[in-house]
Amino acid sequence: MIYRVIALLSLASVLALTSQPALAQAPKEVVIGVLYPLSGPVAQVGIDSVNAVKLVTEMINSGGSSLNLPLGKTAGLPGLGGAKIRLVIVDHQGKPDVGQSEAERLITQEKVHALFGAYFSSVTATASQVAERYGVPFLNAESSSPGLTDRGFKWFFRTSPHDGHFSVAMFDFMKDLEKRRNLKIKTLGIMHEDTLFGVDSAKVQEELAKKYGYDVAVKMAYRAKTTNLEAEVGKLKASNPDVFLPTSYTSDAFLFVKTAKNLDYNPKLLIAQNAGWTDPTFLTEMGKDAEGHITRAPFSIDLANKKPMIKPVNELFKKLKDNPGGRDISDVPARAFTGFMTLADAINRAKSVTPEEVRKALAATNIPAEQLIMPWGGVKFDEKGQNTGVRAILLQVQKGAYATIYPFELAAADVVYPMPAWKDRK
Amino acid sequence: MPRARRIVLGGLALLALLAFPLVFTLPFPRHLMITIFLYAMLAQAWNLLAGYCGQISLGHAVFFGTGAYTSTILVNQLGVTPWAGMLVGAVLAIALSQAIGYPVFRLRGHYFAIATIAVGEIVQTLMINWDWAGGARGLFVPMKRPDSVVNFQFHDSKQTYYYIALGLLLLALWITRRTERSRTGYYFRAIREDQDAAASLGIPVTRYKQRAMALSAGLTALGGTFYAQYILFIDPESVLPLSLSILICLVAVLGGVGTLWGPVIGAAILVPLSEGTRIYLGGTGKALDLLIYGALIMLISVIQPGGIMALAQRGRRRTG
Amino acid sequence: MRGRLPAVTVEVLLQGVVSGLMMGFVYALIAAGLSLIFGLMEIVNFAHGEFLMLAMFATFWAWALWRLDPLVSLPLTAGVLFLLGIATYHGLIRWILAAPMLAQIFATFGLAIFLRSLAQALWGVDFHLVKDPWVQGRVSLGGLFIGLPQLVASVGALVAFVFLNWFIGRTETGLALQATAQDRQAASLMGIDTDRMFALGWGIGSACVGVAGALLAIFFYIFPDVGSTFALMAYVTVALGGFGNVPGTLAAGVVVGLVEVLGGLLIAPALKYVAVFLIYLVVVLWRPQGLFGRF
Repeated sequence: MIYRVIALLSLASVLALTSQPALAQAPKEVVIGVLYPLSGPVAQVGIDSVNAVKLVTEMINSGGSSLNLPLGKTAGLPGLGGAKIRLVIVDHQGKPDVGQSEAERLITQEKVHALFGAYFSSVTATASQVAERYGVPFLNAESSSPGLTDRGFKWFFRTSPHDGHFSVAMFDFMKDLEKRRNLKIKTLGIMHEDTLFGVDSAKVQEELAKKYGYDVAVKMAYRAKTTNLEAEVGKLKASNPDVFLPTSYTSDAFLFVKTAKNLDYNPKLLIAQNAGWTDPTFLTEMGKDAEGHITRAPFSIDLANKKPMIKPVNELFKKLKDNPGGRDISDVPARAFTGFMTLADAINRAKSVTPEEVRKALAATNIPAEQLIMPWGGVKFDEKGQNTGVRAILLQVQKGAYATIYPFELAAADVVYPMPAWKDRK
Repeated sequence: MPRARRIVLGGLALLALLAFPLVFTLPFPRHLMITIFLYAMLAQAWNLLAGYCGQISLGHAVFFGTGAYTSTILVNQLGVTPWAGMLVGAVLAIALSQAIGYPVFRLRGHYFAIATIAVGEIVQTLMINWDWAGGARGLFVPMKRPDSVVNFQFHDSKQTYYYIALGLLLLALWITRRTERSRTGYYFRAIREDQDAAASLGIPVTRYKQRAMALSAGLTALGGTFYAQYILFIDPESVLPLSLSILICLVAVLGGVGTLWGPVIGAAILVPLSEGTRIYLGGTGKALDLLIYGALIMLISVIQPGGIMALAQRGRRRTG
Repeated sequence: MRGRLPAVTVEVLLQGVVSGLMMGFVYALIAAGLSLIFGLMEIVNFAHGEFLMLAMFATFWAWALWRLDPLVSLPLTAGVLFLLGIATYHGLIRWILAAPMLAQIFATFGLAIFLRSLAQALWGVDFHLVKDPWVQGRVSLGGLFIGLPQLVASVGALVAFVFLNWFIGRTETGLALQATAQDRQAASLMGIDTDRMFALGWGIGSACVGVAGALLAIFFYIFPDVGSTFALMAYVTVALGGFGNVPGTLAAGVVVGLVEVLGGLLIAPALKYVAVFLIYLVVVLWRPQGLFGRF
């Protein structure tokens, strides 16, 4: 008896999951699949990014915006007769195999016209592989592993800078700082967490170090989400590099700062690879301890001085109903905002949802700098699908807030060098 | 149930499974079944060691990863067909299992379980730091088109993957069934019930534990190669984590350890549940799907520790 | 191994020893609770890490809502965890006392997943920190730096540990606990209510983790997953010291703490957990019941 019950239950659940009614596609609708991590330790970034995507969708669908963005002035996508965008949002839980099967499900069952996501470079890699196989456009707005565009995929486009760009900015900064302040930087210390993000980042940094003529005094990997960084900081103190380059997600960034404070490790210059160091909670939780840290970023709120559109966009972002905490738009969601707008713009210009048309339109994208909230030269893709208009900026924590310090033409404040030692902080 | 009826029902079930991909042609239903088959097979492999022989390993992902990495590295470095890589992977996993078993089988109960966790963590950490084998970045199996059996890659449809997965599961079931009825199986159970009594009866305990370990490890490794060729990307986080080892056990425990069909039932319930809760409840970032998952596991452990199979047997005895 | 690592100086090594020692006491306290529970009923609480996480959150909310410093809310947190332990016993554990080991493992595993997801559902995934606790800053001894929060945490853990041992060894209830652990049947024949002892064991074991959590919350960041990182160290500590041997967990905790830091310094930070697990394997292979365990 129970066998039958179980067999029936299993069969029923399998059938329930598999027989999605093929949604009668109203011709007036564009469906986009959105993949982000919505559970687990980095879920907040995923949630914020999804909110940014929702913001763009709302702006486009309701129209009436006065902002100088590619879309949003009239309701819907004018190139498709006012068609509205519908999102199908999935949580990939940070797992590449889930990302892959979800991408496939979105394409074959939800019949999305394009895919967008996925933050983690490893998940973006597998999900975009599915898109490549099915011939569906995949737009990535924030994964930073350079390898993603090196694959030469036809259907993969990335608007964001990757670690190569960021690291070049960091090293250019170091060289320019040496000239400006008349000092000599000789040694570097590289510390990175041991997932794809950290490993790729460290690799690029090591290569650039050679190119720019710096000596890597210490390079170490550490287990992500560790409970204890005493050994690592101990080694840093011992080797005392002129510049310290960490690559960490949020929890490790916290732990590092606290450990450095305890062990009195005072690097003169600390330049971080974003992620944990630009997490909105980093500043609020670290308070004075974060003072002086420099991080690369593609975006910063204080750029509003030079890019006035940032302020109204941020206000709209804070008012979203799925953003009950009223969080400011930060780096990753800002990139999601820009990327999604790019995708919508391409579909609009294609005047069609046929994959090949959308792809051609994406390849022909040319969004000028004034229409972006990012400090980029524009959005224009090269033959590998990488946006060539990207520009990285460097931020430094000064007086409790991020200030843009590089490139010097965009800088809102001057660099504080060296970083204040722990005993000098009040 | 009389034997004739069992055979007929079994035959019908098999036919239904064989016909499934012909009826359900979309990728997702097939993917669901493939996932069920894979987990059922992994759980069955684990069941051999833990359910029948009583050695509770919480580090089985090590063998899964061995299979996945061996075949992938051989494909990428030497261009060897993944089928050969699968066999080599299984052999390596067996060798590894014997090397692990030799010291670790001296331990009992919880010490043994934690030792298997320790081994699993060590291997995962080492792989993360082994750059030649991909390290933290993992390894891609380059897409090869057109589809070919030799290359073990099928992109136009999941059908062949489906049948291979089903085949692996049937293999695991067959091995378990044969072991169950053999003297080896008898020894396994004796060791599980009371290791010392078994020894005093003259059963070479360690030798049979190692045998269970070998069978278990080899089968698990086959699943690893399948995974690698199915997803075309592996990294330490996806093929070696503790969470995978736990999940494998969970499937078997839910269905009923030490039984032939337990792992299959466990997978048939857990996989749709996991996929379903993620798809329908997971998009909010509130981990509701995991909440239900955890509650369910607790419930099962309390209500019927013997798993679904025990529930079934209890029912049968009552009506019987 | 990749990475360039400079040689380690004596100063750095000594610093490592101090740090490892301090962390070791905290591991010991967390493990003590586990060991106590196991000694009584041979069940490993695989949700122990999540109990720690809840204790840290309790401390955080006491601070966020009522501005209570962790040291002030510590008794409160310990009390809450004590109740949680008892509730877990009555709600879950009591039903699986006779179940096979596997079911027991998974019952608490399910609890762990449940609690972790509950925390995420209720409080989100963001990191939280107690800001400006009473204890902050550091002292400098010789060339060594000792963070005051870490020092307080480790001393606090040590004190709690000693207290626990005194309780088990010297009070009537403690002796009753020991009796129940040694021989359940004989204890009940002597008139000890074994059910009550079990519940008490869970309560005290959880209270230990409550104290540890409150102390850690002074300087550690708090988020739903935080338990898993400590839990593994705790399991290794318990097994190393010998399941059921509460005093043994002190030595084991210190070993784990030291190996973690020194392994990182001397071998490579990326491999420090490998060092911990290897030491565990080496020890239990030499003594299968752990350093001080009884079979």
